Amino acid sequence: MWEVIFRTGIWPDFLFPSPLGVFQNVLEGFQDRSFIIAIGASMKRILLGYSISVVLGLSLGLLIVASKYLDEVLSPLLLGFQTLPSICWLPLAILWFGIGEDSIIFVVAVGSTFSIAMATLGGVKNVPPIYMRVARTMGAKGIKAYTTVIIPAAFPTIITGMKQGWSFAWRALMAGELLSPKDGLGYILTLGRDLHDMNQVVGVMIIIIIIGLVIDKFIFGKVEYSIRQRWGLNRA
Amino acid sequence: MLKLRGAGKIYSTNNGKIKALENINLTVARGEFLSLVGPSGCGKTTILNIIAGLEKVSSGKVYKEGKEITGAGPDRIVMFQEPALFPWLRVIENVEYGLKIAGVSKKERRERAMHYLKMVHLARFAYHFIHELSGGMRQRVALSRALAMDSDILLMDEPFAALDSQTRSILHTELQQIWCATKKTIIFVTHNVEEAVLLADRVVVMAADPGRIKKEYRINLARPRAPEHAGVIRIVNQIMKELKEEVEKVARAEYDSGWSLQKTTFLLSPDSNVGGNI
Repeated sequence: MWEVIFRTGIWPDFLFPSPLGVFQNVLEGFQDRSFIIAIGASMKRILLGYSISVVLGLSLGLLIVASKYLDEVLSPLLLGFQTLPSICWLPLAILWFGIGEDSIIFVVAVGSTFSIAMATLGGVKNVPPIYMRVARTMGAKGIKAYTTVIIPAAFPTIITGMKQGWSFAWRALMAGELLSPKDGLGYILTLGRDLHDMNQVVGVMIIIIIIGLVIDKFIFGKVEYSIRQRWGLNRA
Repeated sequence: MLKLRGAGKIYSTNNGKIKALENINLTVARGEFLSLVGPSGCGKTTILNIIAGLEKVSSGKVYKEGKEITGAGPDRIVMFQEPALFPWLRVIENVEYGLKIAGVSKKERRERAMHYLKMVHLARFAYHFIHELSGGMRQRVALSRALAMDSDILLMDEPFAALDSQTRSILHTELQQIWCATKKTIIFVTHNVEEAVLLADRVVVMAADPGRIKKEYRINLARPRAPEHAGVIRIVNQIMKELKEEVEKVARAEYDSGWSLQKTTFLLSPDSNVGGNI
């Protein structure tokens, strides 16, 4: 269908590419390794930024939930930060770290930290109190109660937050690479625009979609499924 | 030996203060099986929670072996109305949980957990997940988790209330056997008088508003007891009579002042043919 619309020639090929052209472009990109290098650079950034945000988000969430005072003061702030699109951090990041690697990683990390923290907070708050009563009579206190009861009980919610955080991180990464280009998928996307190479633009977009889907399906999907299986939530 | 001396509990709510318990004096001997019965809202569960250390008394003192109880601990295990098992752990891991917290080695705790799972006849399901078990099985896992801690006091808060009557009577027999075998002190809260008489050495009847002890019955019947035994029926009826007044009082307070229970226990309806076709 795409090919048919292209063949009618309503739009010139620099506005509407043909699927064959796109496919050829992607193939060439992989053959001359430029796409592979770009994907590698992007993956490196997102893994780094995302790991930072998981560690930060989890500890922030657990810290806030541990004290009523912090909860009252910081929870609204957290919500505020979460609604701020992560790309809005970029100007600040560029002034702090300069254009390049560090500022992109910063934006990626900031993008997902708050949603992971919010999910951790919500998950811990919704742990049924009866679990804590059991833990207390069994002699679990403090850190032990956290690691053996609270975190496992909140884990399904935390995983959902991490999944959401991943998609935020992925978006932040692309935005960061578009605006502060050096290499990576966002960079070849801008390069395509600058060269009016519509095949490359659409090709890169498809690659981005596929990577997002694959990771969502095979990493988060698998983890989520196994948790739901364990808890007996798949049986409804 | 467990002692409550003048224990009282007051809850503050938005609608003022509620006196849940007033001047409770109770002594439970080591190895005794004690049942608390009473109308809803008489503070049975509150007494249990206070002994468990999950709630604090507003007045009075609670002692275990002469030492005041200040918090929850693994020497007083509670079994709740719902099984409250952890869905992220397998059956045997649930039973092991308390032992793991206590720092027992992996091999030993697995053996002990298996032993107590066998006691409730669930060894076959050791590696299943919680959601794969029926309600009665879950409550048995909760029982073996409580037993595995080998605490000298076991506190049970209407543990069989949510189960069907067949499962419940099986568990009554199991619990009687387990109690005879382990000689633990058990405090068993229930609203079911028959259950209380069936299981306990002593039944404490409570009254509501404020929660206080009304009467005590010592049950000197041979074990194992069954609900159809004459002795059990006689004592159940005695306690029921005592309780009826209290239940009516609570009902009047909870519904409205026009409420009254039927005077006779025998309802005569015009189309009944009692003995008509002998």
